[in-house]
Amino acid sequence: MIGFFPGSGSSIGKWYFMTEVSIEKLTKDYGQGPAVNSISIRIAEGEFISLLGPSGCGKTTTLKMIAGFEDATEGAIRFDGRDVVHVPVEKRDIGMVFQNYALFPHMTVEKNLAFGLEMRKTPKDEIRTRIARVLDMVQLTGYSERYPRQLSGGQQQRVALARALVIEPKILLLDEPLANLDAKLREEMRVFIRDLQRRVGITTVYVTHDQAEAMTMSDRVVVMFGGRIAQIGTPSDIYERPANLEVAEFVGQVNIVRGKVGNRIVSTAFGDIPVSGDHAAGTELMLALRPEAVELLPVSSGADGVPAKVLSSYYSGSLVDYRLELAGGATVSVQTFPRTRFADGDQVLVHAPADRFWPLGSAA
Amino acid sequence: MNVPAKKRFGPLLLIAPAALLIGVFLVLPYLNIVLMSFRMPGQGTPYGPGFTFGNYGKFFSDFFYISQVINTLWIGFLTTFICLVLGYPVAWQLARGASAFRAVGYALVLSPLLVGIVIRSYGWTILLGNNGMINRTLIGFGLIDRPLGLMYNSLGIVIALVHVFLPFMILPLMSALQGIDPSIEAAARSLGAGRITAFRRIVLPLAMPGIQAGCILVFVLSLSAYVTPSLIGGLRVKTMAVSVVDALIDTFQWPFGSAMALMLSLTGAIMVMLFARLTRMKWKAN
Repeated sequence: MIGFFPGSGSSIGKWYFMTEVSIEKLTKDYGQGPAVNSISIRIAEGEFISLLGPSGCGKTTTLKMIAGFEDATEGAIRFDGRDVVHVPVEKRDIGMVFQNYALFPHMTVEKNLAFGLEMRKTPKDEIRTRIARVLDMVQLTGYSERYPRQLSGGQQQRVALARALVIEPKILLLDEPLANLDAKLREEMRVFIRDLQRRVGITTVYVTHDQAEAMTMSDRVVVMFGGRIAQIGTPSDIYERPANLEVAEFVGQVNIVRGKVGNRIVSTAFGDIPVSGDHAAGTELMLALRPEAVELLPVSSGADGVPAKVLSSYYSGSLVDYRLELAGGATVSVQTFPRTRFADGDQVLVHAPADRFWPLGSAA
Repeated sequence: MNVPAKKRFGPLLLIAPAALLIGVFLVLPYLNIVLMSFRMPGQGTPYGPGFTFGNYGKFFSDFFYISQVINTLWIGFLTTFICLVLGYPVAWQLARGASAFRAVGYALVLSPLLVGIVIRSYGWTILLGNNGMINRTLIGFGLIDRPLGLMYNSLGIVIALVHVFLPFMILPLMSALQGIDPSIEAAARSLGAGRITAFRRIVLPLAMPGIQAGCILVFVLSLSAYVTPSLIGGLRVKTMAVSVVDALIDTFQWPFGSAMALMLSLTGAIMVMLFARLTRMKWKAN
């Protein structure tokens, strides 16, 4: 328990109250069936966790319950073991960043940053030093007298971040904070927020519908559909070992390859793929195959592969996306580096390593 | 400098229609009233020959008129304040409430404006009179044994004016509150402000332009209201506007009526300026 800012007892870079957050069987029901349905998540001290899912999946409602803007219908939210479900927002000691920044338009940057500290009755001179520190942290030194409308979108977002952090909250909550920024700035801010979070080491919950954002920033990702958790795991867990078809399709592109289960193998258009686990022989199984796991080779190479015809290709600079038709009639998406280019209509060999197939479960 | 005539007169031509409109409909009549207020009172005519300061002298020397100004201002203040207190929650609901309520609520707020002001004021005389519905009901239930004085006094006028002018408070308030992003208030709460502090430090200053507009509208309308005060106040209580009309029409004293009308405008304008100044300072201090 050490402070980040001078005056709160520390001179090193890390703050501070590393809070463990535990969500237990949390449910929210607005009266038309649960919007959030008995979800449980344990967030470690200093962990960066993302709630990822399509709109209406319950991720924002979950965040609002953690913040205290929504009452939980059932379940517990514990900060370091203490249930905060009945603690009002203003007493929860959270830092929150909103999608549209939500800066106070009638106050300067400095007044915006001072607001939370004034609520905490922090002495005036400490407010001043803390604001200077946090402005330096978000690289906005010299902007303290500006009004929000005089700042760019990215600068406003950084002020919002600074305002949430300057109060040294137990936990940082971000609700789609980058959704209103343009693509280039969004990527910069991803790195910026992630670096900042690592430096201060604050426990963070980040809500997004953008899978790339969730993947690049998070320690772990919670994928939600229809108010339930579909999967919790590291970004590579989610991407390479998706729990089911929905997760596989939501996170990145994927080919679904169907095959008949035999004795510890699945017979597919790509040949027999060994699978582990119990799958009743004779049933049909779906396998996930990521487009970039597949290799394309010229027919002349005589390599091991399934013959296919190029239907179309999309060049995007660093990568090329192909649509291919296999000999059997199935189509497959492939993503490669543009080192070797194939033209539409070319015959190629498709090589998909057996260990890149991931079983998703029985086909309906 | 050789500026082509077209360039020189172009802008003047563009503002000409607006200038003409303001000139003919606002400035000229006002100047005429100012002029009239300095004319001599007439015998059997609206005004006599020559000019005098006597009309203003009569106004300031008689405490009756001064007290009438004070009473009119007091009615204006009360009406404005009550409209603000009653209107704010309605405006809030209209701005932030469930959308089903909003459409109905908006229609309800506007609906009184569809009924003529004479009819609405007359409606109040039916309710407020000594033999009116309110008094009869209270007597019928044995709650009082003599009728309450609800009419022919300032109280009755304020009650009726609040009803008549409430929409003019609600509408600007509503549009100001609609302009405040709900997440701004949420941000204040997340930073440790309770509901009341968030309201005082964040919502109120941001709603101030709407509060200002609504208050000024209602105040000015209350000062110049004629129909409602004359119907409810009767002969017993007269506001400035009623006295002005009396002077102009009943006693045929155009010069004195004009002087009174100008004094009413002047005090109203001073009050509005003071109010605007006060609220602006409050806003900046935050």
